[in-house]
Amino acid sequence: MSAVDLLNLLISALLLAGVYAAMSVGMTIIYGVMKIVNLAHAGFLMFGAYFVYELYELGIDPLVGVLLAFPTFFLVGIGVHWLLVRRIPTSDKPTLTSLLLLFGLWLVLQNLGYLIWGSADRAILTPRIFSVFRIGPISFPAVRLMGFGAAVASVGGLEFILHRTWFGRSVRALMQNSDAGQIVGVNVEKTARIAFGVGIAFAGAAGGLLAMLYSFSPDFGGPFLLRAFVIIVLGGLESFAGVAVGALILAVVETFSILVLPANYQPAIAFSLLVVALLVLPEGVAGLWNQRRRWA
Amino acid sequence: MESTAPLGMTEPGNSAASSRLRFALTVAPFLLLALLAVLPLFDLGPNTIRLLFVTFVWVTVSIAWNILGGFGGQVSFGFAVFYGLGAYATALAINRGVNAFFSLVLAGGVAVLASLLVGVPTFRLKGPHFAIATIGVSEAVRVVMTNLSITGGASGYRIIETGTFHQVKHYFAALALAAVAVAVSAFVRRSRFGLALIAIREDEEAASDLGVDPFRTKLLAHALAALLTGAAGGVYAQYAAYIHPQGVFSFNVGVAILLMPIIGGIGTVWGPVIGGVVYGLIHEELIASFPQLHLLIYGSLLILIVLFEPGGVVGLLDKSYRALTRTRRVSGSHP
Amino acid sequence: MANYICNPKKWYSLSVGLLFLALLAVLPGCGKAGKGGPNEIAVGVVLPITGREAKPGQYQREGIELAIHQINQGGGIFVKELGKKLPVKEVFYDDGSDQAKSAGLVERAMSADNVVAVLGGYSTALGEAESVMPDRYQTPWITTGAGSPAIFGRGYQYIFGTLSPIDLLGYTTADFLGTLVDHGKLKKGLKLALALENTDHGIDYGRGIDKWIQEHPGYFNVVFSEKFDLGSTDFSGLLQKVKNARADILLADAHLQDYITMHRQYIQTGIYHQMISYGARGPESDARKALGDGTNYIFAGIWWSAKLPYPQVQRFNSDYQGFANHPPDSWYPAPAYDAMRALATAIERAGNLNKTAVRDQLRTVELKDSLLPGQVLRFGKNGQINTPFVIVQNKPDAKVDIVYPPDAATGEAIAPKPR
Repeated sequence: MSAVDLLNLLISALLLAGVYAAMSVGMTIIYGVMKIVNLAHAGFLMFGAYFVYELYELGIDPLVGVLLAFPTFFLVGIGVHWLLVRRIPTSDKPTLTSLLLLFGLWLVLQNLGYLIWGSADRAILTPRIFSVFRIGPISFPAVRLMGFGAAVASVGGLEFILHRTWFGRSVRALMQNSDAGQIVGVNVEKTARIAFGVGIAFAGAAGGLLAMLYSFSPDFGGPFLLRAFVIIVLGGLESFAGVAVGALILAVVETFSILVLPANYQPAIAFSLLVVALLVLPEGVAGLWNQRRRWA
Repeated sequence: MESTAPLGMTEPGNSAASSRLRFALTVAPFLLLALLAVLPLFDLGPNTIRLLFVTFVWVTVSIAWNILGGFGGQVSFGFAVFYGLGAYATALAINRGVNAFFSLVLAGGVAVLASLLVGVPTFRLKGPHFAIATIGVSEAVRVVMTNLSITGGASGYRIIETGTFHQVKHYFAALALAAVAVAVSAFVRRSRFGLALIAIREDEEAASDLGVDPFRTKLLAHALAALLTGAAGGVYAQYAAYIHPQGVFSFNVGVAILLMPIIGGIGTVWGPVIGGVVYGLIHEELIASFPQLHLLIYGSLLILIVLFEPGGVVGLLDKSYRALTRTRRVSGSHP
Repeated sequence: MANYICNPKKWYSLSVGLLFLALLAVLPGCGKAGKGGPNEIAVGVVLPITGREAKPGQYQREGIELAIHQINQGGGIFVKELGKKLPVKEVFYDDGSDQAKSAGLVERAMSADNVVAVLGGYSTALGEAESVMPDRYQTPWITTGAGSPAIFGRGYQYIFGTLSPIDLLGYTTADFLGTLVDHGKLKKGLKLALALENTDHGIDYGRGIDKWIQEHPGYFNVVFSEKFDLGSTDFSGLLQKVKNARADILLADAHLQDYITMHRQYIQTGIYHQMISYGARGPESDARKALGDGTNYIFAGIWWSAKLPYPQVQRFNSDYQGFANHPPDSWYPAPAYDAMRALATAIERAGNLNKTAVRDQLRTVELKDSLLPGQVLRFGKNGQINTPFVIVQNKPDAKVDIVYPPDAATGEAIAPKPR
């Protein structure tokens, strides 16, 4: 394979990593703060996609739709937390109760999607979808660049909030130890609720972004959900930069694996990586990094 | 506390009534089995027999999952692997001339092996991590089986049928398997092994301090559950005569297997049976009349159960029974 | 989760009681009372209208229902034994694109609903699962959407299909490209890349192409052939490999959803091929909506086109538009419509509603005004029909032209594709 092909493949992997990162941020926030595995993330990705689609049908540019998804889904997230999530006990370790609750929610969301929109595939069609920037022999599909940009913006923005705001400090306190956080005056329930809302907001917005890349139907989201979890596990939870690392690893492995594997085995990569990651790197790559620092 | 006391055991003067009741309760399941065994004699039509067949298969896998998930507390989303492998093992065996019964034994065996392969690495994980890992395994197996040419790959695999189709034969096979599953479940529940599982579910570290080997116990439970599930998959394959990886290995099957015992009553002997019945009978009718609504129903049920009644249907029944008998006992009348 | 270690007996008894009640409640409800009454002919229809194959399933349903509607407008089917015309009643089930459900529903229709025959099985996987039931219940079954010859090669006696075999589709596609070479539009010796769906459909398609290439050496070389999983979200890996293969022509075989996803990513990758096809997909309106001008010049081998120059096709188009409020989409409704008509003819010729008699008539029935290419519908020995395919090509402005065979052509084939 020529150097140009290899470079194209690398760029492709990077851009894919951007999309993956943007999509996982929402789940990371909720998992990090509340130790809840949000299986309904897939459902909110799907609703985000349909949200942007419906706005597009009304004539609103999909990018604007994605931005509008943020506040809308933030409110939805707050609502879901108030209605369901606050009623279950959470601890410093993920619980099965929360897993099953949100799984049930995902089933409900899927069905709501079917009832409202039917099972036909939808897609968003704008000239932007097909525009491709070329620098020499290397091509950058416009939409993927947008996904990459969104990822950088989200991760950067969240890092900023986490390390430079009071709210971010409370979130970090909760991530480390919620009881201790309570002792020092963090309002656990309010912080958790806002964090949940932010997580769902990112899920909805990411869904809108994905709608520009893929066609979707109410059972959209499942494969993304698992990839998001791989990314979280790989990246660890020390910071949102971990999401970027995890997304990069997954995207690179997936993209370059096709060189050695037949295309029909590609879906198995993400799943296998998930199992390997859970077994070998439960703290994620960031955990390895921290351990190195400790030994140094 | 009075409300938790067994019926009649602490109330004077009721020993005759309570022992009669106890006798009735012990005999009831056997009566049910007898009724189901003679059911085909009544001309109920092949569709009813089919419905019951499907129900028995679901009941079996529901009970199987409950052994690991209900008694042992290890929530696995990956039981479709055993179901599918059992189905394929049976199909491959029958096509090579193995008789029906032994092909089921083979199905169970293959599933047990798979359970060890899956369990040894993943039982080091706890709680949701284990659950998510099982999703990964389930999907990876599905992709591999879709591409394996020995088993037909994505075209699916067909059992070459010889002779006429006797629906009743399959009915009895499924009924027998379900009965065996109930018996196994009841036996496990009352055995030391079952106690060890429950101890692991409640607090794995404490159990280990008490001398239970969690890893081995979990593996054993997993193997037992896989055995039943694989056999159920085999029974299904023999009936359907055509299996397809997107069908038997799909994530939806794994989800269904998990939903049934939770809805029926996780951690009990008869809860999974109720869940299987609910799923088998009602689900089938739902699909015929309102397809796609079932996700809404199961999702809502799951949410309601998690939030308000973790004991499922059985828990509800228990509470209502207690509520009823409490008033009777308070008013002093004899049951 | 709460545990229930204390006293098993209470819920035990109640559970068993509940089971009894459940059984007693359900049993009278299901079973005997079939859906077919004495004054109508019940026909089972099992198609996916939800799930992956929802769109094609819906169109096929509309084709069947149009045929039933027209039959009933004329009073129904004349049954000699009863001396009168009986209307047709459709017993419809949605199998949600799931083959276990599909097989179960067909079994239900055949055993409990008193149907004379069952139509259905869109897509080969669903068809395969359903095909086990007809011989068991000795009820004729006509698949309107499963084209794999494997289904028909198992010696079943009660199965029929109104979809020509898919390897013929592959063969015809290659033959079409061959004629383009003969007419000088394409050079000889071009390189083919095959991206096949990992199903019987894809395998048969590839086999048909290979067969033609072997029979006509020197025309084409296959330089790349790989399978992909149904329902993937991301084809960029596959497309990268296709790009690396540097072929001249891309022949993919996919179902509707994957066609849309793959082609969108194809366009974004910026690859160029002189000719591109997605098997039996191309002119679907959903694809046009999703991909716009991106679908221009894609060609497809399909079982039927609304543009066929037969009078019965023009009539069908306007009837269908009036019935379903939209024009027929791609080829989906036609095999279904004709399957129902063939069944009606067979019932009439049988003179009674005996399922085996109807089956016997289906074996010899001949529709001389069939919508399908060739205008004659006749089931082969193994139950499958063998009508020829047409190749259509998408043209700009949402036009579609039949470009092959020459005697049915409505426009010129554009090859190679403009850049």
